[in-house]
Amino acid sequence: MENQVDFNYQQEIERLKEKFGFDYIGIALAQSLEHRFEMKWMYVTGNLSEQYRLLKVQYGKGVAGVVFKTGKPMFVEDAEQALSGDNLFNYPIVVAEGLKSFGAIPLYKNNRVNGVMLVGSRKRLALTSEGFAQFKKVTGKEFGQSFQEEMVKNESDQ
Amino acid sequence: MNQTNNTDVSNLLMKLYGNSDEAIFFFDRQGRVLSMNAAAEQIIDEDVFEQMMAGNTEAICKTCKGYTSSEELQTCLSCYMSDPTKDIGSFQVYFDTKGRGIIPYSASIQTIDEETGARVFMLRDLTDQYKTQEELNQKLMMKRVIKAQEDERKRLSRELHDGVAQEMLSSLVDLRVLKYMNIEDDVLQKVQQTEGSLMRLLDDIRHLSVELRPATLDDLGLEAAFRTHFKWIEKNYGLHVNFQADLQTKRYEGEIETVVYRICQESVFNALKYAEIGEVVVRLYEEEGYLHLFVADEGRGFQMEQFSPKGTGLGIYGMKERAELVDGRFRIRSELGKGTVILLKVPVGKGGDAV
Repeated sequence: MENQVDFNYQQEIERLKEKFGFDYIGIALAQSLEHRFEMKWMYVTGNLSEQYRLLKVQYGKGVAGVVFKTGKPMFVEDAEQALSGDNLFNYPIVVAEGLKSFGAIPLYKNNRVNGVMLVGSRKRLALTSEGFAQFKKVTGKEFGQSFQEEMVKNESDQ
Repeated sequence: MNQTNNTDVSNLLMKLYGNSDEAIFFFDRQGRVLSMNAAAEQIIDEDVFEQMMAGNTEAICKTCKGYTSSEELQTCLSCYMSDPTKDIGSFQVYFDTKGRGIIPYSASIQTIDEETGARVFMLRDLTDQYKTQEELNQKLMMKRVIKAQEDERKRLSRELHDGVAQEMLSSLVDLRVLKYMNIEDDVLQKVQQTEGSLMRLLDDIRHLSVELRPATLDDLGLEAAFRTHFKWIEKNYGLHVNFQADLQTKRYEGEIETVVYRICQESVFNALKYAEIGEVVVRLYEEEGYLHLFVADEGRGFQMEQFSPKGTGLGIYGMKERAELVDGRFRIRSELGKGTVILLKVPVGKGGDAV
């Protein structure tokens, strides 16, 4: 990727995956103007399938779409229960990767959501709300300018 | 009537009286029960029966819940029993029957003997007919609802596509012009961001419009609409649709195209939601004056007999109703663990018009 010289996403998500013991991490980023700012999954680790390459994130739909639109983190402790049957198909990446508990945070650039980081586990209830909070806290510092906790707070206070 | 058959007739009449399913009562001029047949005895309470037999003229009111006049469904106003000389060929009455509750009857009352004033009152059970009528009405309503929904969707979709989206596009163009003017860098950056948001919004509106009802369906026909839809499904849900159409870009009547499109859409969505597979096969072809749609997956399937739907269960019902709208035949085959096949056959007469 031409414009990511200053930050190695792939290396970073692999490190985070090890550190927190996630099964999967994926980063979706908004494309440039030429690609109509469409959002695609750009960096993944721990993936089961290559399906993410085909998927387009629709603004406001699915994990990344919702986080992208709202600018707030999303956390689902028990996917089977929360997104059962009728609703699960709206989360294709969760289905494709067989995630049972997951969380996603917005990645900010110039005060705008530019991407979404999805972290998850294939075991039920493996990612707890405390675990996710801890992850958010740590990545806030480590993920540099991409994610700042106070921004998330500001957004959700409104 | 031949006189020699007189005994036969009275014999037959006795049989009719005894064995008919219709309740028959005989009343005298005062409204006292002279006699009633077995079917009549069956529908009234023993208590009422005894009172009737004892000559109580009001007894029938305990079981009669009123008749249907042009003003009211159940009324006692100018009751059919009140005027002993009036004959009414057919009217509707409600009776509180033993064990079955209040049910509608078609009734007739007429004088059969001028001298004694004896009258016969006959009741014919209407529940089955009512049920049939109700089902018919429901079907008709369902069809109207489907049509109304489709029309409304079409209107909204057009409005979004031709109105809102167009306006949005022209403001986007205006905004782009701004980028080539002499402006500060930070303003430029903001403009670019706004451009991004607007483009997303435009995409959103277009999605909405297509989701409501694809304009391609009206403009370019089934095949084109399906190709766009399946591409979208693949991108958004990661389900691969193996689509083959053999229509030579033919066009059909608007209603047929809508029905085929909606049924296919629903079937593919069902596969996506419940089959837990990565691929669906869709075939669309015309053969011997019928348009065929075939949707198959090799997913989980379900038991046809004891089917407890995962969703609302209305989908399949709706598809059947839609198929009936265009005299189509809709069939669904499914087996647990083997997958589901949906077949739709719609008569298209001499075939669609080639474009």
